[in-house]
Amino acid sequence: MCYITKYNLVVKFGNKDLAKYPFLKEAFSYITKYDFKLEDLNNRDYLHLIEKANKKIEQYLFFGRNEYQINYSKTHETIVQEEVILFLISLLFVKSISIDAVTKKFALLESMRFEKYLISDLNTSNRDDKTIKLILYKIFEDLFNTKILLEENVYNFYKIRISDYLDHPIAFQEKEWNLVNRTIHNGFVYLDGNEIVRLFRNELYLLIIDRIKKMNIDKVPDTIMAISKSIKIQWEQMHPLPNPTVYKAVTPPCIQHIYDQIRKGENLPHPARLLLGTFLIYSNKTLEEMLELFKRLPDFDEKITRYQLEHLAGKKGGSKKYYVPSCEKIKLENLCYETKVCHGISNPIQLVRKKSKI
Amino acid sequence: MSDALSFDSNDSIKKDKNKPKYQNAEPDDKNKNWLEEIFRRYYFYHYSQLEVGELINEHEFGFRLFDGKIHRHLSFNDKKELYAYIIKFSPSDIFISSARYQNPKAEIDQKGWNGSDLIFDIDGKDLHLECAQSHNLVLCKDCNLISKGIVSTCEGCKSSRLQIIDMPCTRCIKSLNGEVKKITEILCDDFGIDKEYIFVYFSGNNGYHIHVVDKIFYGASAQKRNAFAQYLMCKGYMIENLGIRKNTEGVLIPMQNKILYNQGWRKRIFESMHLPIQNHRIDDKFVKKYHRMQDVNSNNISDIISTHIFDLSAKIDPNVTMDIHRIFRLAGSINSKSGLIKAFCKDLDSFNPFADACLIGDSSVEIESKLNVKISLKGKQFSIKTGTNSLPEYAAAYVVCKGIGDIQ
Repeated sequence: MCYITKYNLVVKFGNKDLAKYPFLKEAFSYITKYDFKLEDLNNRDYLHLIEKANKKIEQYLFFGRNEYQINYSKTHETIVQEEVILFLISLLFVKSISIDAVTKKFALLESMRFEKYLISDLNTSNRDDKTIKLILYKIFEDLFNTKILLEENVYNFYKIRISDYLDHPIAFQEKEWNLVNRTIHNGFVYLDGNEIVRLFRNELYLLIIDRIKKMNIDKVPDTIMAISKSIKIQWEQMHPLPNPTVYKAVTPPCIQHIYDQIRKGENLPHPARLLLGTFLIYSNKTLEEMLELFKRLPDFDEKITRYQLEHLAGKKGGSKKYYVPSCEKIKLENLCYETKVCHGISNPIQLVRKKSKI
Repeated sequence: MSDALSFDSNDSIKKDKNKPKYQNAEPDDKNKNWLEEIFRRYYFYHYSQLEVGELINEHEFGFRLFDGKIHRHLSFNDKKELYAYIIKFSPSDIFISSARYQNPKAEIDQKGWNGSDLIFDIDGKDLHLECAQSHNLVLCKDCNLISKGIVSTCEGCKSSRLQIIDMPCTRCIKSLNGEVKKITEILCDDFGIDKEYIFVYFSGNNGYHIHVVDKIFYGASAQKRNAFAQYLMCKGYMIENLGIRKNTEGVLIPMQNKILYNQGWRKRIFESMHLPIQNHRIDDKFVKKYHRMQDVNSNNISDIISTHIFDLSAKIDPNVTMDIHRIFRLAGSINSKSGLIKAFCKDLDSFNPFADACLIGDSSVEIESKLNVKISLKGKQFSIKTGTNSLPEYAAAYVVCKGIGDIQ
């Protein structure tokens, strides 16, 4: 497929490239040109794709793993068609499950999958091969309404106009992405290869959630409905709604906000995880109780979380036991949701102890 | 706008508990009547000094009258309407929105915001200058005694209800100019704004307003403007941006061979610290110099960096920058805190606020000063003694506006 870039160069997208980026308009045109309809998914010809999408989603949701492989043993055209349909089926599954936490977990792992392809493409393309960089430009321009440019003279840094950069929510979410912590010059924000990929992942995550939200559930084919029902039951068995009284009785507002985020399936920034982990440790929760809570995070990995919690508790990686961050630090990290109950405390753990005494 | 809203020290309107100076003044208050007359005469002869553009009907106007009442959500179809209003009411202060609206007369949420210039506010008070300690005055709100220098309790009645009267000197102005240059440099180098879109104004008392009139920023949300302000203040800057990280012993060490694009705050900080970075890479030379610096300063690099950041950062009020509905003193209008006007500074180095912003007439009047004080206006020194003094109108207006003397 050809398109004209802003440099007026004609660039060819290889079919393989499109298979890796099925959310692009160019990829989608591979199925629209054959007049594909959602009802067609009830046809047995698509069963193998439904099964593949089902397997991918189960891996994402129940094991937090991405083992998905694109099957390259077919014709280029078929590969792209199948990948686009698979992506579409996956969105339909998640839409019909209609649980926020599932949507967010799926969006995170799916965006991480595409991020992996992008990193690999950027690493394998040689310095003079501009094709992959142009794909990157295309993704940002088409999907995220952002023009990115390359500062070729300085180690191939990417640059985005300041105003465009601030249109991305990440600029206000995490400290290191705040404008003050970016390199700015002559009206542009400069990003290196790793940073542009992280920005891509974050934006794609939001885009996938948005696409799922905008889908019309009435159009989900019966075959998909039936399978998604069983996934939903399995998810609800694994993640019973937490009993609010367990935590609410002695919960500082900053911690309550984190619980609420977890309940909604939001991904937590690092400082929030540290706050929650240390708070739970000092509230005398067992490791298993803590894992039960962290399990709900979309990027949960039991091995890593177990190690990190043990590390915070001073049981792994040195003997230092981390204390709960102070209210001042929590404020600096934008994690403070102060209410009247916080009056006179300098650390959220004081609130627990105060209440426990009562 | 209700009477509960007043003016802050930055010459822009916001909620403030302090009462305006002439609120509830008696109709025969001599100072009020005299200033009202002086101001009216200024506007009658100098209306062309008022900087209002062609799109006057899209701005909201606000006025504070000498009786303390504030009128907001006003708009005018053309300049003539505005001039007529000003001459009729002779307001103590005139304000205009930085924003343009579809319906400027409506309440804030009904106005239909089109966009707003980007404004940075520098207030002399925020620079905490040493000289201000000696030349500023303090008014006791309980016994009205005025003391020299900064005190924490009234020398007369020991009350702690005190109000600082700014008496900026040339050194204060020089420091403020330094801040303006710092901000202008960041706006040009980092934000890529052309100098011709940056307009610097003396606020009329003890500060500057920097207006950026650029379509790129015109539609920016309050959140984006806040990000610009935080950037200029270098607030929340992470030390890791300098290619420095803590090792396992908690000591800050440079990340050798790390490639960092040497621009923005990084370049400014490295230059200020005399740390050389070549080809955007932390090389041997950098590491050696860094370690030398670390040895000399007993590993206290973090404090050194913080000091450099503090010196380099812009001292602005972020709330002013992020407020897209704020109304600001109109350029060319008189500041009732000093009798000087908010004046455009074409060339900051040659601009002298005590002369170039002093446009009131010079016929002689008598004032009763509450203390001995020296002021310099229009190139003339005035040694004012406690008691009766004969002064030109512009100097008398300064003394009366500052609240340190009464018209006879």
